[in-house]
Amino acid sequence: MSELLSLIRAPAIAFIGGFLVIGGWIYAPQLSGLLPGFSSGTSSTSPSASSGGSWFADANRLGRPETAPVLRSCIARMLDLGRGEKVEPGVVYSMLKAGSMQASISALAGKSNMWSGNQTVMLAASWGELASCIYAQDDRELCDADNRAAMVEATTKFFTFAKQTETSKPPISGRDAQVLSNFGDRLSNALRNHRRYGTLIAADYGSFAPPEIARIMREEKQTRDICKR
Amino acid sequence: MRAAFILGAIFVGANLINYSVLGNTGDYLPGGARMGEWKAARIREACYPAFVVSERDATLPLLTTNDHRVAWQDLKQARTLTTALHCYLVTHPNAICEKNNRAYIVDYINRYFSKFDEMVDIAKRYGESEITNVKNLWDSPRNRAISAALIQDASSGRLIKADFGWSTPAAMRPMLDQYKGKTDNCPRA
Repeated sequence: MSELLSLIRAPAIAFIGGFLVIGGWIYAPQLSGLLPGFSSGTSSTSPSASSGGSWFADANRLGRPETAPVLRSCIARMLDLGRGEKVEPGVVYSMLKAGSMQASISALAGKSNMWSGNQTVMLAASWGELASCIYAQDDRELCDADNRAAMVEATTKFFTFAKQTETSKPPISGRDAQVLSNFGDRLSNALRNHRRYGTLIAADYGSFAPPEIARIMREEKQTRDICKR
Repeated sequence: MRAAFILGAIFVGANLINYSVLGNTGDYLPGGARMGEWKAARIREACYPAFVVSERDATLPLLTTNDHRVAWQDLKQARTLTTALHCYLVTHPNAICEKNNRAYIVDYINRYFSKFDEMVDIAKRYGESEITNVKNLWDSPRNRAISAALIQDASSGRLIKADFGWSTPAAMRPMLDQYKGKTDNCPRA
Protein backbone atom coordinates (compact mmCIF):
# COMPACT_ATOMS: atom_id res chain seq x y z
CA MET A 1 0.00 0.00 0.00
CA SER A 2 2.75 2.43 1.00
CA GLU A 3 4.60 1.48 -2.17
CA LEU A 4 1.56 2.38 -4.25
CA LEU A 5 1.19 5.71 -2.44
CA SER A 6 4.82 6.61 -2.97
CA LEU A 7 4.45 5.65 -6.62
CA ILE A 8 1.49 7.87 -7.30
CA ARG A 9 2.50 10.76 -5.04
CA ALA A 10 4.90 12.43 -7.48
CA PRO A 11 2.58 12.21 -10.55
CA ALA A 12 -0.36 13.35 -8.40
CA ILE A 13 1.56 16.40 -7.17
CA ALA A 14 2.68 17.14 -10.74
CA PHE A 15 -0.91 16.80 -11.97
CA ILE A 16 -2.37 19.04 -9.28
CA GLY A 17 0.41 21.60 -9.80
CA GLY A 18 -0.19 21.61 -13.55
CA PHE A 19 -3.93 21.91 -13.04
CA LEU A 20 -3.50 24.86 -10.69
CA VAL A 21 -1.25 26.70 -13.14
CA ILE A 22 -3.20 25.97 -16.34
CA GLY A 23 -6.62 26.03 -14.66
CA GLY A 24 -5.72 29.19 -12.80
CA TRP A 25 -4.75 30.93 -16.02
CA ILE A 26 -7.94 29.82 -17.78
CA TYR A 27 -10.42 30.29 -14.94
CA ALA A 28 -8.89 33.24 -13.13
CA PRO A 29 -11.02 35.78 -15.08
CA GLN A 30 -14.22 34.09 -13.92
CA LEU A 31 -12.94 33.60 -10.38
CA SER A 32 -11.68 37.15 -10.07
CA GLY A 33 -15.10 38.35 -11.22
CA LEU A 34 -16.69 36.46 -8.36
CA LEU A 35 -14.41 37.92 -5.72
CA PRO A 36 -15.23 41.47 -4.65
CA GLY A 37 -12.24 43.77 -4.76
CA PHE A 38 -10.42 41.59 -7.27
CA SER A 39 -12.65 42.44 -10.17
CA SER A 40 -11.09 42.40 -13.62
CA GLY A 41 -11.60 45.39 -15.81
CA THR A 42 -14.77 45.12 -17.74
CA SER A 43 -15.87 48.03 -19.82
CA SER A 44 -17.49 49.51 -16.75
CA THR A 45 -15.58 51.96 -14.62
CA SER A 46 -14.33 49.49 -12.05
CA PRO A 47 -11.27 50.59 -10.08
CA SER A 48 -9.02 48.04 -11.73
CA ALA A 49 -10.21 49.03 -15.17
CA SER A 50 -9.46 52.64 -14.57
CA SER A 51 -6.01 51.80 -13.32
CA GLY A 52 -5.17 49.84 -16.42
CA GLY A 53 -7.01 46.61 -15.80
CA SER A 54 -6.15 43.45 -13.94
CA TRP A 55 -3.88 40.66 -15.14
CA PHE A 56 -6.71 38.92 -16.89
CA ALA A 57 -9.20 40.27 -19.37
CA ASP A 58 -12.83 39.50 -18.64
CA ALA A 59 -13.66 36.25 -20.41
CA ASN A 60 -16.25 38.03 -22.57
CA ARG A 61 -14.22 41.08 -23.57
CA LEU A 62 -12.45 39.48 -26.50
CA GLY A 63 -14.38 37.56 -29.12
CA ARG A 64 -13.38 36.02 -32.42
CA PRO A 65 -11.62 38.50 -34.73
CA GLU A 66 -12.42 36.46 -37.87
CA THR A 67 -16.13 37.18 -37.47
CA ALA A 68 -15.77 40.86 -36.56
CA PRO A 69 -18.32 42.98 -38.45
CA VAL A 70 -15.76 45.77 -38.97
CA LEU A 71 -13.74 43.42 -41.17
CA ARG A 72 -16.40 43.52 -43.88
CA SER A 73 -15.82 47.16 -44.72
CA CYS A 74 -12.14 47.25 -43.77
CA ILE A 75 -11.04 44.23 -45.80
CA ALA A 76 -13.00 45.51 -48.82
CA ARG A 77 -11.24 48.86 -48.44
CA MET A 78 -7.80 47.27 -48.02
CA LEU A 79 -8.23 45.13 -51.13
CA ASP A 80 -9.79 48.02 -53.01
CA LEU A 81 -12.69 45.89 -54.17
CA GLY A 82 -15.03 47.31 -56.75
CA ARG A 83 -18.81 47.08 -56.70
CA GLY A 84 -20.08 43.56 -57.03
CA GLU A 85 -16.72 42.04 -56.13
CA LYS A 86 -17.09 39.91 -53.03
CA VAL A 87 -14.59 38.16 -50.81
CA GLU A 88 -15.11 36.44 -47.50
CA PRO A 89 -13.41 38.84 -45.04
CA GLY A 90 -12.75 36.02 -42.58
CA VAL A 91 -10.76 34.15 -45.22
CA VAL A 92 -8.60 37.19 -46.02
CA TYR A 93 -8.06 37.77 -42.29
CA SER A 94 -6.95 34.15 -41.81
CA MET A 95 -4.56 34.47 -44.76
CA LEU A 96 -3.05 37.59 -43.22
CA LYS A 97 -2.61 35.71 -39.95
CA ALA A 98 -1.04 32.74 -41.70
CA GLY A 99 1.45 35.04 -43.47
CA SER A 100 2.28 36.65 -40.14
CA MET A 101 2.92 33.30 -38.56
CA GLN A 102 5.32 32.36 -41.34
CA ALA A 103 7.17 35.66 -40.99
CA SER A 104 7.41 35.24 -37.22
CA ILE A 105 8.93 31.79 -37.65
CA SER A 106 11.42 33.18 -40.19
CA ALA A 107 12.37 35.91 -37.73
CA LEU A 108 12.81 33.38 -34.94
CA ALA A 109 15.03 31.31 -37.21
CA GLY A 110 17.18 34.40 -37.75
CA LYS A 111 16.30 34.64 -41.42
CA SER A 112 16.83 38.26 -42.29
CA ASN A 113 17.39 38.77 -45.97
CA MET A 114 15.97 41.25 -48.46
CA TRP A 115 12.88 39.12 -49.13
CA SER A 116 11.92 38.60 -45.50
CA GLY A 117 12.63 42.26 -44.76
CA ASN A 118 10.21 43.36 -47.47
CA GLN A 119 7.67 40.84 -46.32
CA THR A 120 7.84 42.19 -42.78
CA VAL A 121 7.26 45.73 -44.05
CA MET A 122 4.32 44.51 -46.09
CA LEU A 123 2.82 42.67 -43.11
CA ALA A 124 3.34 45.62 -40.78
CA ALA A 125 1.69 47.92 -43.33
CA SER A 126 -1.24 45.51 -43.82
CA TRP A 127 -1.92 45.18 -40.10
CA GLY A 128 -1.43 48.92 -39.68
CA GLU A 129 -3.93 49.65 -42.44
CA LEU A 130 -6.44 47.24 -40.94
CA ALA A 131 -6.04 48.69 -37.43
CA SER A 132 -6.32 52.25 -38.80
CA CYS A 133 -9.48 51.31 -40.65
CA ILE A 134 -11.02 49.79 -37.52
CA TYR A 135 -10.08 52.95 -35.63
CA ALA A 136 -11.75 55.07 -38.31
CA GLN A 137 -15.11 53.43 -37.56
CA ASP A 138 -17.41 54.66 -34.84
CA ASP A 139 -15.71 54.45 -31.42
CA ARG A 140 -18.55 52.31 -30.07
CA GLU A 141 -17.75 49.60 -32.61
CA LEU A 142 -15.08 48.46 -30.16
CA CYS A 143 -17.77 47.68 -27.56
CA ASP A 144 -18.36 44.56 -29.65
CA ALA A 145 -16.13 41.71 -28.44
CA ASP A 146 -15.26 40.51 -31.95
CA ASN A 147 -14.38 44.00 -33.19
CA ARG A 148 -12.31 44.58 -30.06
CA ALA A 149 -10.44 41.31 -30.64
CA ALA A 150 -9.70 42.35 -34.23
CA MET A 151 -8.38 45.74 -33.06
CA VAL A 152 -6.25 44.13 -30.35
CA GLU A 153 -4.75 41.63 -32.77
CA ALA A 154 -4.19 44.17 -35.56
CA THR A 155 -2.44 46.71 -33.31
CA THR A 156 -0.34 44.03 -31.59
CA LYS A 157 0.78 42.58 -34.93
CA PHE A 158 1.48 46.03 -36.38
CA PHE A 159 3.75 47.10 -33.52
CA THR A 160 5.49 43.71 -33.45
CA PHE A 161 6.30 43.75 -37.18
CA ALA A 162 7.16 47.45 -37.16
CA LYS A 163 9.70 46.72 -34.41
CA GLN A 164 11.17 43.87 -36.47
CA THR A 165 11.74 46.18 -39.45
CA GLU A 166 13.93 48.42 -37.28
CA THR A 167 16.53 45.69 -37.04
CA SER A 168 16.17 44.20 -40.52
CA LYS A 169 19.25 43.86 -42.72
CA PRO A 170 19.49 45.55 -45.16
CA PRO A 171 17.58 48.41 -43.53
CA ILE A 172 14.17 49.27 -44.98
CA SER A 173 13.85 52.30 -47.26
CA GLY A 174 13.19 55.74 -45.80
CA ARG A 175 9.82 55.83 -47.53
CA ASP A 176 8.72 52.54 -45.96
CA ALA A 177 9.96 53.71 -42.57
CA GLN A 178 7.90 56.89 -42.95
CA VAL A 179 4.76 54.93 -43.85
CA LEU A 180 5.15 52.70 -40.79
CA SER A 181 5.93 55.67 -38.57
CA ASN A 182 2.69 57.38 -39.71
CA PHE A 183 0.71 54.24 -38.94
CA GLY A 184 2.44 54.03 -35.55
CA ASP A 185 1.54 57.63 -34.63
CA ARG A 186 -2.05 57.19 -35.73
CA LEU A 187 -2.48 53.93 -33.84
CA SER A 188 -0.85 55.29 -30.69
CA ASN A 189 -3.44 58.09 -30.70
CA ALA A 190 -6.17 55.53 -31.32
CA LEU A 191 -5.03 53.42 -28.39
CA ARG A 192 -4.86 56.45 -26.09
CA ASN A 193 -8.40 57.45 -26.99
CA HIS A 194 -9.80 53.95 -26.61
CA ARG A 195 -7.97 53.51 -23.33
CA ARG A 196 -9.67 56.68 -22.06
CA TYR A 197 -13.05 55.55 -23.41
CA GLY A 198 -12.70 52.20 -21.64
CA THR A 199 -13.07 50.29 -24.90
CA LEU A 200 -9.53 48.92 -24.56
CA ILE A 201 -7.79 48.01 -21.32
CA ALA A 202 -4.35 46.58 -20.50
CA ALA A 203 -5.76 43.12 -19.85
CA ASP A 204 -7.04 42.94 -23.45
CA TYR A 205 -3.42 42.80 -24.58
CA GLY A 206 -2.29 40.26 -21.99
CA SER A 207 1.14 40.03 -20.46
CA PHE A 208 3.11 40.00 -23.71
CA ALA A 209 1.97 43.27 -25.27
CA PRO A 210 4.50 45.20 -27.37
CA PRO A 211 6.21 47.87 -25.19
CA GLU A 212 4.51 50.76 -27.06
CA ILE A 213 1.06 49.38 -26.24
CA ALA A 214 1.97 48.44 -22.66
CA ARG A 215 3.25 51.98 -22.06
CA ILE A 216 0.06 53.61 -23.37
CA MET A 217 -2.14 51.28 -21.35
CA ARG A 218 -0.09 52.05 -18.24
CA GLU A 219 0.12 55.83 -18.68
CA GLU A 220 -3.43 56.61 -19.81
CA LYS A 221 -6.38 56.47 -17.44
CA GLN A 222 -9.97 55.61 -18.19
CA THR A 223 -12.09 58.74 -18.00
CA ARG A 224 -15.45 57.41 -19.15
CA ASP A 225 -17.17 54.32 -20.41
CA ILE A 226 -18.67 54.79 -23.83
CA CYS A 227 -20.04 51.23 -23.86
CA LYS A 228 -22.30 51.83 -20.88
CA ARG A 229 -25.88 52.51 -21.93
CA MET B 1 4.26 -2.11 -10.04
CA ARG B 2 6.18 0.80 -11.55
CA ALA B 3 6.14 -0.85 -14.98
CA ALA B 4 2.37 -1.37 -14.73
CA PHE B 5 1.91 2.27 -13.83
CA ILE B 6 4.00 3.45 -16.78
CA LEU B 7 2.21 1.09 -19.18
CA GLY B 8 -1.15 2.31 -17.85
CA ALA B 9 -0.13 5.94 -18.35
CA ILE B 10 1.02 5.19 -21.92
CA PHE B 11 -2.28 3.43 -22.61
CA VAL B 12 -4.39 6.29 -21.25
CA GLY B 13 -2.24 8.93 -22.98
CA ALA B 14 -2.30 7.16 -26.34
CA ASN B 15 -6.08 6.84 -26.18
CA LEU B 16 -6.52 10.48 -25.21
CA ILE B 17 -4.38 11.53 -28.17
CA ASN B 18 -6.24 9.17 -30.49
CA TYR B 19 -9.63 10.54 -29.41
CA SER B 20 -8.96 14.23 -28.90
CA VAL B 21 -6.04 15.04 -31.19
CA LEU B 22 -6.33 12.56 -34.05
CA GLY B 23 -10.14 12.61 -33.84
CA ASN B 24 -10.55 8.85 -34.27
CA THR B 25 -13.78 8.90 -32.29
CA GLY B 26 -15.05 5.89 -34.27
CA ASP B 27 -12.60 3.69 -32.34
CA TYR B 28 -14.67 4.23 -29.19
CA LEU B 29 -18.08 3.28 -30.53
CA PRO B 30 -19.72 0.19 -29.09
CA GLY B 31 -18.80 -3.14 -30.66
CA GLY B 32 -21.13 -6.06 -31.23
CA ALA B 33 -22.63 -7.87 -34.17
CA ARG B 34 -24.21 -4.74 -35.67
CA MET B 35 -21.04 -2.64 -35.69
CA GLY B 36 -17.96 -3.30 -37.81
CA GLU B 37 -14.68 -1.53 -38.37
CA TRP B 38 -15.26 2.10 -39.35
CA LYS B 39 -11.92 2.32 -41.12
CA ALA B 40 -13.01 -0.45 -43.51
CA ALA B 41 -16.22 1.30 -44.57
CA ARG B 42 -16.62 1.24 -48.35
CA ILE B 43 -19.18 4.04 -48.33
CA ARG B 44 -16.44 6.51 -47.55
CA GLU B 45 -14.74 6.08 -50.93
CA ALA B 46 -18.02 5.59 -52.75
CA CYS B 47 -19.01 9.11 -51.72
CA TYR B 48 -15.82 10.90 -52.77
CA PRO B 49 -17.43 12.16 -56.02
CA ALA B 50 -20.23 13.75 -53.99
CA PHE B 51 -17.76 16.28 -52.62
CA VAL B 52 -17.42 17.95 -56.01
CA VAL B 53 -19.99 20.68 -55.39
CA SER B 54 -20.34 24.28 -56.39
CA GLU B 55 -19.61 26.98 -53.80
CA ARG B 56 -23.07 28.41 -54.43
CA ASP B 57 -24.95 25.10 -54.32
CA ALA B 58 -28.17 26.20 -52.62
CA THR B 59 -29.12 22.68 -51.57
CA LEU B 60 -26.26 22.84 -49.04
CA PRO B 61 -25.96 25.15 -46.00
CA LEU B 62 -25.63 28.71 -47.25
CA LEU B 63 -25.67 32.03 -45.44
CA THR B 64 -28.55 34.15 -46.65
CA THR B 65 -27.60 37.29 -44.75
CA ASN B 66 -24.48 39.41 -44.38
CA ASP B 67 -25.37 40.20 -40.80
CA HIS B 68 -24.00 37.08 -39.12
CA ARG B 69 -21.13 35.85 -36.92
CA VAL B 70 -20.55 32.49 -38.57
CA ALA B 71 -16.84 31.85 -39.13
CA TRP B 72 -15.95 30.74 -42.65
CA GLN B 73 -14.29 27.59 -41.27
CA ASP B 74 -17.53 26.62 -39.52
CA LEU B 75 -19.56 27.26 -42.67
CA LYS B 76 -17.16 25.13 -44.70
CA GLN B 77 -17.36 22.32 -42.18
CA ALA B 78 -21.15 22.48 -42.05
CA ARG B 79 -21.25 22.13 -45.86
CA THR B 80 -18.76 19.24 -45.85
CA LEU B 81 -20.58 17.35 -43.10
CA THR B 82 -23.92 17.84 -44.84
CA THR B 83 -22.55 16.76 -48.23
CA ALA B 84 -21.06 13.60 -46.77
CA LEU B 85 -23.95 12.56 -44.55
CA HIS B 86 -26.43 13.24 -47.34
CA CYS B 87 -24.48 10.84 -49.53
CA TYR B 88 -24.19 8.19 -46.81
CA LEU B 89 -27.87 8.28 -45.81
CA VAL B 90 -29.86 9.63 -48.75
CA THR B 91 -27.93 8.83 -51.93
CA HIS B 92 -27.02 5.35 -50.62
CA PRO B 93 -29.92 4.48 -48.28
CA ASN B 94 -28.87 0.83 -47.89
CA ALA B 95 -25.24 1.58 -47.07
CA ILE B 96 -26.06 1.67 -43.35
CA CYS B 97 -27.05 -2.02 -43.47
CA GLU B 98 -23.42 -3.10 -43.87
CA LYS B 99 -21.76 -3.19 -40.44
CA ASN B 100 -18.50 -1.42 -41.36
CA ASN B 101 -20.50 1.33 -43.02
CA ARG B 102 -22.83 1.54 -40.03
CA ALA B 103 -19.90 2.13 -37.67
CA TYR B 104 -18.57 4.86 -39.95
CA ILE B 105 -21.97 6.48 -40.46
CA VAL B 106 -22.83 6.43 -36.73
CA ASP B 107 -19.53 8.20 -36.03
CA TYR B 108 -20.32 10.72 -38.77
CA ILE B 109 -23.80 11.36 -37.36
CA ASN B 110 -22.13 12.20 -34.03
CA ARG B 111 -19.79 14.64 -35.76
CA TYR B 112 -22.67 16.22 -37.68
CA PHE B 113 -24.73 16.92 -34.56
CA SER B 114 -21.77 17.95 -32.43
CA LYS B 115 -20.83 20.58 -35.04
CA PHE B 116 -24.40 21.87 -35.07
CA ASP B 117 -24.44 22.05 -31.25
CA GLU B 118 -21.06 23.79 -31.22
CA MET B 119 -22.26 26.43 -33.70
CA VAL B 120 -25.49 27.03 -31.76
CA ASP B 121 -23.47 27.40 -28.54
CA ILE B 122 -21.27 30.05 -30.18
CA ALA B 123 -24.38 31.79 -31.59
CA LYS B 124 -25.89 32.02 -28.09
CA ARG B 125 -23.26 34.63 -27.21
CA TYR B 126 -24.71 36.95 -29.85
CA GLY B 127 -28.39 36.51 -29.11
CA GLU B 128 -31.55 35.23 -30.68
CA SER B 129 -30.98 36.56 -34.22
CA GLU B 130 -27.64 34.75 -34.50
CA ILE B 131 -29.17 31.50 -33.22
CA THR B 132 -31.78 31.88 -35.98
CA ASN B 133 -28.99 32.44 -38.53
CA VAL B 134 -27.30 29.20 -37.50
CA LYS B 135 -30.54 27.23 -37.43
CA ASN B 136 -31.44 28.56 -40.88
CA LEU B 137 -27.99 27.61 -42.11
CA TRP B 138 -28.55 24.01 -41.01
CA ASP B 139 -31.96 23.89 -42.61
CA SER B 140 -30.93 23.52 -46.25
CA PRO B 141 -32.74 21.03 -48.49
CA ARG B 142 -30.01 18.45 -47.92
CA ASN B 143 -30.17 18.91 -44.11
CA ARG B 144 -33.90 18.31 -44.25
CA ALA B 145 -33.34 15.20 -46.36
CA ILE B 146 -30.81 13.97 -43.78
CA SER B 147 -33.34 14.50 -40.96
CA ALA B 148 -35.96 12.55 -42.91
CA ALA B 149 -33.48 9.73 -43.59
CA LEU B 150 -32.53 9.56 -39.90
CA ILE B 151 -36.18 9.20 -38.89
CA GLN B 152 -36.61 6.55 -41.57
CA ASP B 153 -33.53 4.63 -40.37
CA ALA B 154 -34.59 4.84 -36.72
CA SER B 155 -38.15 3.74 -37.47
CA SER B 156 -36.95 0.78 -39.51
CA GLY B 157 -34.42 -0.40 -36.91
CA ARG B 158 -31.44 0.36 -39.10
CA LEU B 159 -30.20 2.68 -36.39
CA ILE B 160 -30.74 1.89 -32.72
CA LYS B 161 -29.62 3.56 -29.50
CA ALA B 162 -27.08 0.82 -28.77
CA ASP B 163 -25.21 1.73 -31.98
CA PHE B 164 -24.31 5.08 -30.43
CA GLY B 165 -23.52 3.87 -26.92
CA TRP B 166 -22.84 6.72 -24.50
CA SER B 167 -22.46 9.23 -27.32
CA THR B 168 -26.05 9.37 -28.61
CA PRO B 169 -26.66 12.90 -29.94
CA ALA B 170 -29.38 14.72 -27.97
CA ALA B 171 -31.33 15.40 -31.17
CA MET B 172 -31.52 11.68 -31.96
CA ARG B 173 -32.52 10.39 -28.52
CA PRO B 174 -36.30 10.97 -28.82
CA MET B 175 -36.58 9.22 -32.19
CA LEU B 176 -34.39 6.30 -31.09
CA ASP B 177 -36.48 5.93 -27.92
CA GLN B 178 -39.70 6.11 -29.91
CA TYR B 179 -38.75 3.21 -32.19
CA LYS B 180 -37.00 1.14 -29.52
CA GLY B 181 -37.10 -2.60 -30.10
CA LYS B 182 -37.53 -2.50 -33.89
CA THR B 183 -35.64 -5.12 -35.86
CA ASP B 184 -33.95 -3.78 -38.93
CA ASN B 185 -35.48 -4.18 -42.36
CA CYS B 186 -32.17 -4.42 -44.19
CA PRO B 187 -32.19 -6.61 -47.29
CA ARG B 188 -30.73 -10.02 -46.38
CA ALA B 189 -28.06 -11.45 -48.64
